[in-house]
Amino acid sequence: MARLYIFAIGGTGSRVLKSLTMLLASGVKPNSDKNFEIVPIIIDPHKSNEDLKRTERLLGNYQTISNDAGLDSGFFSTKITTLDRLTTSQNRLSGSFTFNLQEVGGRKFSEYIGFSQLDEPNKALADILFSGKSINKRHEEVNLLDVEMDIGFVGNPNIGSIVLNQVKDSQEFKDFASNFNEDDRVFIISSIFGGTGAAGFPTILKNIRDAMNNRNIDGKGFLQDAKIGAVTVLPYFNIEKDSDSPIQKSDFIAKTKAALYYYKDNVTGNNSINSLYYIADNYSGKPYKNDPGDNGQKNDAHFVEMASALAIIDFLETPDSDLETSEGKALKPIYKEFGIRKDSADIKFSDLEDYTERKIAMRLSQLALFRKYLTEHLSNAIEKEAWSNDSPEINKKFIDDTFYRTNLSEFLSSFADWLKEMADNKRGFSPFNLDSSIEALIEGRTVKSGWFSSKVDFPSMDNKLSKQGKGKTYSSASQKLIKLFYDTTEEILTSKFGLKN
Amino acid sequence: MEEFFASLYEWFGPNPFYSKDMAELMRGWDITCTGYIGTPWYVIIGWSMVAITIASYVLQYHIIDSSKFNKKHHWWIVAAIVVLFNFLNAFLIMNNTIQAGDYCTQDNIGISDCIGLGLSNAIWSFILFILLTSFKYPRNLGINCSHTTFWKP
Repeated sequence: MARLYIFAIGGTGSRVLKSLTMLLASGVKPNSDKNFEIVPIIIDPHKSNEDLKRTERLLGNYQTISNDAGLDSGFFSTKITTLDRLTTSQNRLSGSFTFNLQEVGGRKFSEYIGFSQLDEPNKALADILFSGKSINKRHEEVNLLDVEMDIGFVGNPNIGSIVLNQVKDSQEFKDFASNFNEDDRVFIISSIFGGTGAAGFPTILKNIRDAMNNRNIDGKGFLQDAKIGAVTVLPYFNIEKDSDSPIQKSDFIAKTKAALYYYKDNVTGNNSINSLYYIADNYSGKPYKNDPGDNGQKNDAHFVEMASALAIIDFLETPDSDLETSEGKALKPIYKEFGIRKDSADIKFSDLEDYTERKIAMRLSQLALFRKYLTEHLSNAIEKEAWSNDSPEINKKFIDDTFYRTNLSEFLSSFADWLKEMADNKRGFSPFNLDSSIEALIEGRTVKSGWFSSKVDFPSMDNKLSKQGKGKTYSSASQKLIKLFYDTTEEILTSKFGLKN
Repeated sequence: MEEFFASLYEWFGPNPFYSKDMAELMRGWDITCTGYIGTPWYVIIGWSMVAITIASYVLQYHIIDSSKFNKKHHWWIVAAIVVLFNFLNAFLIMNNTIQAGDYCTQDNIGISDCIGLGLSNAIWSFILFILLTSFKYPRNLGINCSHTTFWKP
């Protein structure tokens, strides 16, 4: 199976990766003959970033569920794996999705570059390159050279580009290079208006394309002409005004312009990327808390992050012939933007363009219905309904086991949080009424009813589950739970809600 | 079949529920008291008991076949209906026969005999309903009630 290596850089990288995980969990798949195994690599110096921690936990749960339920169960059917699982070398890394940036924690940038050991001319040069002010963890104003990097690069790509250049000599990059095959692809997620992402994207891209010149790594043969896609997220949210913070909304556009100007020569201008997705939103909605990173940086999920995740699906649908590369240069570089049908402040499925709606409406609704059933009705059905008692049994012991109690419950709880956060955000995405009856679950969709058509409620779902499961064989209770609900929710949403796949 | 049903209703010998005269009537002892040429009540009531019980089973397990009606307390409700129907069926048929005087008048048969027969019929219908629903087949041919028995779910 071919692999897609995803470099998720900075806070936006983690949040887009989270959205992708949700889409993959719901069964969203690229329309392609090829199946891809996803290998996420999160690059963020800010280890206490709540968005990063949430995404890591989510990926861990996804991995366990997918391993237990198998890859033909509908939900969770795209394999996600950690980089360390691909290697058998003695230098095997711990099973984490996060790139371990060395020597960043607790160090000032000046210590990282060995400022005190520089001679006077170089000190003067560093002073010019890294002039300006920022803040430290204690919210005190400091010189840029004295920034402590364990809360990220606080919107300073000039620091980020120096630190992230260490990626090319890391064990992770060596593992990535030695496992990269001709059919594999790379995708880079970054934002352009902050520090980590804006610096990381061109740095990673350059390191991959220049891998042939890197003497520290083996098996770099395919990297130079790798099929590389990227989404660069332009400003899409508003932040609170805080004159003490180094992060200001007014800087977003200036930083974006500066970065785009740099990309013009070093990314798009030299054709080093095969497919680049731009996404932005100028809607001025609910401001986020102005947190440079010292308070954990936990931002609500946003529609733009989900749309960015769809860029990855779109990239996987792009045929190989459109991603040809020669000597590190894309022969037919592709540039794409994302749009919706209606400029709505609160997006529903019907506000999306047809392709996007077809891609996600059915699958997200399936997962939402699955979650609703498990949280609101499973305890009434367990060991009572035929589908639960049919072999392999889904009984009380099963729901007390880690798979259900921890992995699946936690994942679905995160899924609900993700939907709620997107609904509460402005611009919002609120296609579901999560707390309503099943028939009112999907905004703008009414249930088809008639003389001979039963209504959709939990008992009717039990009927359909039992009917669906009748005579089928499942390899385990975990696989049965996932596969049975996938098939049944698809049938209900098709026949009763008129959703199309 | 007559002997089969007779042995069932007479509990294989000592009949605890109704008189010997009632048993004779059930075997077809005719109104002129000359021979077993009258209506074979054991066969009629026996088969009607089987039919009512199977129909009730089919109705719950294969026609209604609903997740709203597949718990053990639903089983007990259907079982109670089966028992009641079969009790009334046997009781009313024989009571109407006796009230109409359609039996050998030399025999001493009363309403208590009809109640006894009704009880026997009800008990056998209950046993048949248990047998029909306690094994994997045929209940497994249904969907929602494929695990419904008197003890679960």
